[in-house]
Amino acid sequence: MNAVSKHLHFILAAGVVAAMPLLMQSGSLASEVLIFALAAMGCNLLLGYTGLLSFGQGIFFGLGSYTIALLLTRWPLPMPLALALAIAMGAAGAAVVGWVSIRQKGTYFVMLTLAFAQMFYFIAYTATGLTGGDNGLLDIPRPGIAVLGRTLWPLVTPWQFYGFVATLFLVAFWLLLRITRSTFGRTLLAVRDNEERAAAIGYDLKLLKLQAFVISGAVTGLAGALHAMMTGIAPLANAEYHTSEMILVMTVIGGTGNLFASVLGSAFYLLLGDWLSQLWPRWLLLLGLALIAVSLWLQRGLWGLGETLWNLGRDRLGRWRAPVAAAPAGGTGRAPGQGGQA
Amino acid sequence: MKRRQLLQLSALGALPGSLAFPHAALAQGAGAIQFGCPVPMSGPFAANGKFADLGMRLAIEQYGKALNRPLAYTLLDTEGKPATAVRKVQEAAQQQGARFFAGGILSSEALAMGKEADKLGGIFITTAGADEITGQDCNAATFRWSVPTFGAIEQTVRPLIASMPKAKRWYTITPQYVFGDGLLSAAKNIFKEKGIEHVGNSYHSLAEKEFSGYITNAIAAKPDVLLLLNFGSQCADTLRQAVSFGMNKNMTILVAWASGLEQFESLGADLCDGIYFGAQYWHTVDSPLNRDLVKLANDKLKANPNYSLAGSYICTKLLIDGIIKAGTVDTKAVIAAMEGMKYQGLTGEEEIRKADHQVLKNYYLLKGKAKSRMRNKDDYVDVLSSGKSFLAIDQTGCKRA
Amino acid sequence: MNIYLLQVINGIGIGMLYFLLAVGLSIVFGLLRFVNFAHGAFYLLGAYFCYQLTRWGLSFWVALVLVPLAVGAIGWLTEKLMLRHVYATAHEYHILVTVGLALAVQELVILQWGPLGDSVAVPDMLQGVVMWGSFVYPKYRLFVIEFTAVLAVLLWWVLEGTRLGSAVRAGSESTEMVSLLGVNVFRIFSLTFGLGAATAALAGVLAAPIRGAEPFMGIEALGVAFVIVVVGGMGSFSGALLGGLLIGIVQSVMSTLWPEGARLMIYVAMAAVLLLRPHGLLGRKE
Repeated sequence: MNAVSKHLHFILAAGVVAAMPLLMQSGSLASEVLIFALAAMGCNLLLGYTGLLSFGQGIFFGLGSYTIALLLTRWPLPMPLALALAIAMGAAGAAVVGWVSIRQKGTYFVMLTLAFAQMFYFIAYTATGLTGGDNGLLDIPRPGIAVLGRTLWPLVTPWQFYGFVATLFLVAFWLLLRITRSTFGRTLLAVRDNEERAAAIGYDLKLLKLQAFVISGAVTGLAGALHAMMTGIAPLANAEYHTSEMILVMTVIGGTGNLFASVLGSAFYLLLGDWLSQLWPRWLLLLGLALIAVSLWLQRGLWGLGETLWNLGRDRLGRWRAPVAAAPAGGTGRAPGQGGQA
Repeated sequence: MKRRQLLQLSALGALPGSLAFPHAALAQGAGAIQFGCPVPMSGPFAANGKFADLGMRLAIEQYGKALNRPLAYTLLDTEGKPATAVRKVQEAAQQQGARFFAGGILSSEALAMGKEADKLGGIFITTAGADEITGQDCNAATFRWSVPTFGAIEQTVRPLIASMPKAKRWYTITPQYVFGDGLLSAAKNIFKEKGIEHVGNSYHSLAEKEFSGYITNAIAAKPDVLLLLNFGSQCADTLRQAVSFGMNKNMTILVAWASGLEQFESLGADLCDGIYFGAQYWHTVDSPLNRDLVKLANDKLKANPNYSLAGSYICTKLLIDGIIKAGTVDTKAVIAAMEGMKYQGLTGEEEIRKADHQVLKNYYLLKGKAKSRMRNKDDYVDVLSSGKSFLAIDQTGCKRA
Repeated sequence: MNIYLLQVINGIGIGMLYFLLAVGLSIVFGLLRFVNFAHGAFYLLGAYFCYQLTRWGLSFWVALVLVPLAVGAIGWLTEKLMLRHVYATAHEYHILVTVGLALAVQELVILQWGPLGDSVAVPDMLQGVVMWGSFVYPKYRLFVIEFTAVLAVLLWWVLEGTRLGSAVRAGSESTEMVSLLGVNVFRIFSLTFGLGAATAALAGVLAAPIRGAEPFMGIEALGVAFVIVVVGGMGSFSGALLGGLLIGIVQSVMSTLWPEGARLMIYVAMAAVLLLRPHGLLGRKE
């Protein structure tokens, strides 16, 4: 693989990050796209890479929001430390939920994550002292990065905050990319494809799944914390079923095969939703239909669609450039005689 | 029609508006003053959002322009979620340069938006009910048209006690969150004062749909009055189930925080018969502005205005009037112009109290009438009484300089 | 009468409706092996179709018969045209397709009937209450208990006493075996799915005079149905009955003991069962 294709996904992600300030007017919307791209990547790690359909992502998102809110208002800590702790809380929550949930497989696992999501919601609703109940936690400040009392990087305007989010996003993207390409990542894929075989080879399924959960929780917690800083509130709605559903929808529509697809999914959902919701309040209907379409026919999501179109275009271009049908035997550019093993 | 085209263009222009390029010509339209209507258009409160949107549209079309600049607005679907609401307010401020917002149906979203408006130097006026909006979370940017919990209870519980001196036992059903608690403590204060026996209270969660358990509890306590402190579809469910248990025949039922016309329509006249309702607004209120609004709504929408529409209409109107009075769109000046403004409102004489930006207006006690006595399809209730009750500033918890 | 006894009786009333809501989900899972997230949507359609029929002047009783048939047909079609294509894929996609379907149906309902919610009147002959001493109970809820009990017996007979029922039960254990025996498994799938949709719609029709028809009742019902099916045992008919009654009684009694905690308790129970006895109280061990 040459350098470009090896880093293609990262280049694409960086491209999106750079393009948004040029094409968009609203720093808040741009930040939101990246924040939910993070959440979708966390979900993708579980769904696309480990084969675990989790309805509990809202728990980790909510934990991230509540933690940063409390650590910036009630028990103030410097922002970077607060953010790190929010990530840790997301990971911890995921560890608990994951440890319990992976005791079951398949549909039972899915239902467990659902049950946990509901339990967390009702606990958050009732523990008003800690979470503000239905009102949520308000007045979350957005302190800049300061060293020795001097603010190096203020986060006051929307685009300044976007820069901060973008940096963290790219770092997280890079890390996740390395993780998914590592041995660990490939083992996860093995677990996804055939659990029994992976166990038979000797992999510790429970540990692997738990690790995937913890990483997912950390990334989702980061997303939740950034979201709370952007809007200034840690609302109850972050822990609701709808948030988990939304993250799942973004992940699936984007495509579960790779991380950049999650960025596509997030951008698609948020940008289209924002625009459509002004014109037609029932735009969720289209989203439901899109979800059905993807699940039935386009299982590789928008990314898969893009790939297909790209290959189609390349083929067309190739044929236009060299109309003489001197296609090698075997037909796809492989040297004749080689088998079809990918 | 020019106005409608402008509004539609604004919406279309929003896509290119989330992208930076040729949006400006479409959306802005020669320096229009930009308003935002952040209301839930999807989710459980979509019904209220739909009418709120219509209310703002009526006001904006009616005025057309202010300070020689056309008026335009963007509909922002908050989905009933505070974080989405805040983000969309931010976006509207960034994309359309909107600074004037009228909306916020739910307390949680209104609280969050009020704070955001304050941060970005805009103005936010809402009809949400939570006391904190003009109480401990008050700020320079936030105004509220609706009557908060104290007034709602004062104007419903007190007159009912007075008219039914023998009804000494009251049972309450309360949604468990800050707003419900606000209504409950206001009610308890009056109970103590008037020697009413509070025979029991049932808290329930905001997701609850099955109230038979609470109703069974209530029946066992043998109250004279059942006081419902929930609202929206939960209120409708509780009322429906209470009537099915025959409670309307054995005791009086008072719904302290009813939504008005849209709620009566969805319940139907049979369920509303004999029930007491507290309401922020009713379309038969005889004030000059209300008569105009009823005529306007009937002309343009072929329907009487309901509370969501009326509330949004007058909130928008207050913003526009404030801009005109200040002579500028500088928000600090507009805020100053709005403070202390006395005007002929939908409920009669109304005033925007300077200290906490709360509008002082009437709250109504209504009683449902039998289907046979309805003179037209919207004649669900008789207006029994109305009045203005508000906490003194030092008791609201609002500390503004 | 002691308040707790009253609450238990009330809980039975709630529970029977919950049973009807959950039994379809349970059977569908038992046979088709996936969780139908669109189950709440069929319940929703049931309530709204009932509302529409009564708006057109037809009686509630007509709706009680017609609506489940109509929604059952919709369910049958959905399985045949849509769901059948996902069986070969990973089970996540079954869930996601039905999630998309649920979303689409909900929005269509709002598109057609508006977001406000409507009431359905209790049929005339069932209005009013019965009184035993100081215990008051609406006649309509009593009817729901009786009707659902009869329906439960009917369903049980279908499952245990008919060829279709045996095919469903056998298919729940092994679809391969059943198809080897010459039964058209796909036809059974469609019929079962349709039956599940029909029972959900029936629950919606019965619930409409109590709770009205409101666009978000589908999501709420789905949450409760999941809990009941998990607690009772996925795939088990009697489990749905036991689970429904249990949850209904717990909910009712909690409203006296600890009202705010009722919902939390239900989901804690669900998690506990999933952990300790995942096949539920009456389900089969996998």
